[in-house]
Amino acid sequence: MNGLEALWFGSLTLAAFSLMIMAGLMITRSFSVYLASIRETERKRLVAVLLGQDSLPVTPPPPLGLSRKLCLQLSVEMIQLVRGEDRVRFIAAATAMGVAERLRHQLDSGSPGVRLVAAEALAHFPDDKSRQRLRLAIDDPNPNVRIAAALSLAQVGEPPPAAELVYKLGIGTSENSLLAVSLFRDVAERRPDELKALLVDPNIPAGAKAAVIESLSASSDYTIVPMIVSLAGEEEDPRHLTRYLRALGKFGHPAGEPAIKRGLQSRHWEVRATAAGAAGRIGLVALAPNLRQLLGDPEWWVRFRAGEALRTTGIEHLRDVASSGTEPARTAASKILAERGLE
Amino acid sequence: MTGEWQEWLTTAAEAIALVVITTGLLQTAFYIVQLVYAGAALARRPPIARASVLWRRYAEEAPPVAVLAPAYNEEVTIIESVNSLLALHYPDFEVIVINDGSSDRTLETVVSHFGLSRVERYHDTKVKHQPIRGLYAASRFPRLLVIDKENGGKSDALNAGINVARMPIFCSIDADSLLEPDALLRAVRPFVEDPHLTVAVGGTIRIANGCRIDAGRVSHVRLPRNFFALIQIMEYLRAFLMARLALSTMQSLTVISGAFGLFQRQTVLEVGGYTHGTVGEDMELVIKLHRLLRERKQDYRINFIPEPVCWTEVPEDLTVLGRQRARWQRGSLETFSRHKAMLFNPRYGRVGFVGFGNILLVDVIGPLVEMLGYILVPTLWAVGLLSLEYLLAFLAVTFTLGIFLSVSTLILEEIELRRFPRSRDLAVLTVIAVLENFGYRQLANVWRLRGWWQFMRKQQGWGKMTRKGFARP
Repeated sequence: MNGLEALWFGSLTLAAFSLMIMAGLMITRSFSVYLASIRETERKRLVAVLLGQDSLPVTPPPPLGLSRKLCLQLSVEMIQLVRGEDRVRFIAAATAMGVAERLRHQLDSGSPGVRLVAAEALAHFPDDKSRQRLRLAIDDPNPNVRIAAALSLAQVGEPPPAAELVYKLGIGTSENSLLAVSLFRDVAERRPDELKALLVDPNIPAGAKAAVIESLSASSDYTIVPMIVSLAGEEEDPRHLTRYLRALGKFGHPAGEPAIKRGLQSRHWEVRATAAGAAGRIGLVALAPNLRQLLGDPEWWVRFRAGEALRTTGIEHLRDVASSGTEPARTAASKILAERGLE
Repeated sequence: MTGEWQEWLTTAAEAIALVVITTGLLQTAFYIVQLVYAGAALARRPPIARASVLWRRYAEEAPPVAVLAPAYNEEVTIIESVNSLLALHYPDFEVIVINDGSSDRTLETVVSHFGLSRVERYHDTKVKHQPIRGLYAASRFPRLLVIDKENGGKSDALNAGINVARMPIFCSIDADSLLEPDALLRAVRPFVEDPHLTVAVGGTIRIANGCRIDAGRVSHVRLPRNFFALIQIMEYLRAFLMARLALSTMQSLTVISGAFGLFQRQTVLEVGGYTHGTVGEDMELVIKLHRLLRERKQDYRINFIPEPVCWTEVPEDLTVLGRQRARWQRGSLETFSRHKAMLFNPRYGRVGFVGFGNILLVDVIGPLVEMLGYILVPTLWAVGLLSLEYLLAFLAVTFTLGIFLSVSTLILEEIELRRFPRSRDLAVLTVIAVLENFGYRQLANVWRLRGWWQFMRKQQGWGKMTRKGFARP
């Protein structure tokens, strides 16, 4: 048989093989439709058990005939849906049926997907064993599982130490997810000093510091403002600098002015725009002349943010530029005034 | 002399057949590689989370998104479309409807229904488009803004939307796209998890023909009854589940469907927004993004998520389908021709080799060689210039391997996603996966050659797209 014949017979074999697999899958599907109806009946029974409306024993091992997988899925699903006393009851019933134990076991699975779901679901089972297992999962080889485990620990009120998060999760280096901010926010609620310590640690990457600052900006701890001003003075990367400036705007404290003033003169347009936004949010009247200058910036975002900031820091500048300024500042000023009905 | 002539003819015929067979084999080999990559990506992906989980996980950090919905003569469906967009589950978004100079009462309908009035809004002017006639909004619907502009086509309307949007990310959709309620929440994941690198994200588009639609949402997934719509389900499976997912994994994705795509606004502004004068504006935008970022040597990601985020209506009529396919072919060729310098150019890395190699093989050479094969190989065999092995090898690359690829994609779908509710659906689609190779595939090739012809003649315009309309209860 030559190559061309081999191609023909090979293609026939592949086509036939794929059709056979498909036929097998169709048979499996037909069977799974039958199983689904059984599962639906069991699901109804399980709901009753979880609701406490059924006298079915709920002590481990799971009730006879009740699929462990279904039991696990449904428990997590229902716990996520309800709040208050119902939730407490669901968690107690699910724990008694061994759901938490099975989730802990799933954290050893070879599939990152299974481990991820387990790490997320264990947030609903704040017993000691689950917390301990979640703490171990912070070292999981998969980054998604690591961050899910950390978020779950935070959810049960035990966020890992901030420095451990930075190093183990690679925050600011390999891990730049915005979810890090959520994580630090939970730490900030309980142990803000840990986060503040990170800000002065020279070994902490700038990306991690930016996430820390963002998470702290929701607090009213103004002692951080000078720290941010100092960090902003040393930062060159516009991606981090914009996060510092945005945080300063959120704090709304006038002590942020030196960093914001520097930001307004940055060579990066995104930094100028963010600084203008922060100046407006804090209401830094002294920066109104600088903002007025930025109305003529080549970048639209900077003109827009400067114009918006001038509404609170010096509307007379906006009116003046709208009537006698040069383009593009005049259009920016007049359009912003018109948009707000202030012309 | 006659013998030499005969020998020469046979050699020439065999050479032609070998070119056809080799091209077909290369295509098939590349598809198989894509299938393997797509399978690996699906196996590795995090499980599809429920909407409530997504909300808990992403809502706090999800960046604001502007949904850009161009509308041209959509008077009948505009209210339902806007209502469905306003009901999206996402923490911070605005819906910008762009009335592209409709000749019907699209603008009046939306203005009167939502009680909009004319407003001023300071906006960017960086990308070019036809003049904006007015902006409309209402305090009762703070998420909604309507742009009324002169007619300029879909790219032009989207450019106006990009200029007016004030969100860092925009989502471009088609007028007839039906979005899943949590579409934005699902598609924004790469922007949250990798905010420094992600510049664009595409999602899976599914076919809504035959499905039950309630209040602008697909409530019951059913297969269409129309044969051509069924065939397109297989085509969409291959395009989205296999090709785009695989190319995205290889960081070589060259197209994000115009029906649904999320883009970082600033980077799109830097490439000048959507290009005018092309029918493949969605592909053109993605290639421009690759080109800019590769030339800047900037690390970036253009991603594709396998979860279904959007439903669309496909043509059920051969004439309309043919026009659409010729247009797609023309769009690919236009983009390939504009950026041909990227082909196999090391400066553009994997995009130049894998992405452009794929376009060259599938869109540029593919239809020409395959059509040549349909005409010449059986003819040359019939006149005795080719032996039976050549004919069988040609049948292998055009028919049997085609069946293998289609059925394999269906297998992947069933193992990993199970989106078709009944086993009967699988049986129907398996039959379609076989049948499409006999007749439809050849017809599609004729349409693609028509696209080639239109490209050569530099023909512009979209042609008439007649919509049947979604089935409503």
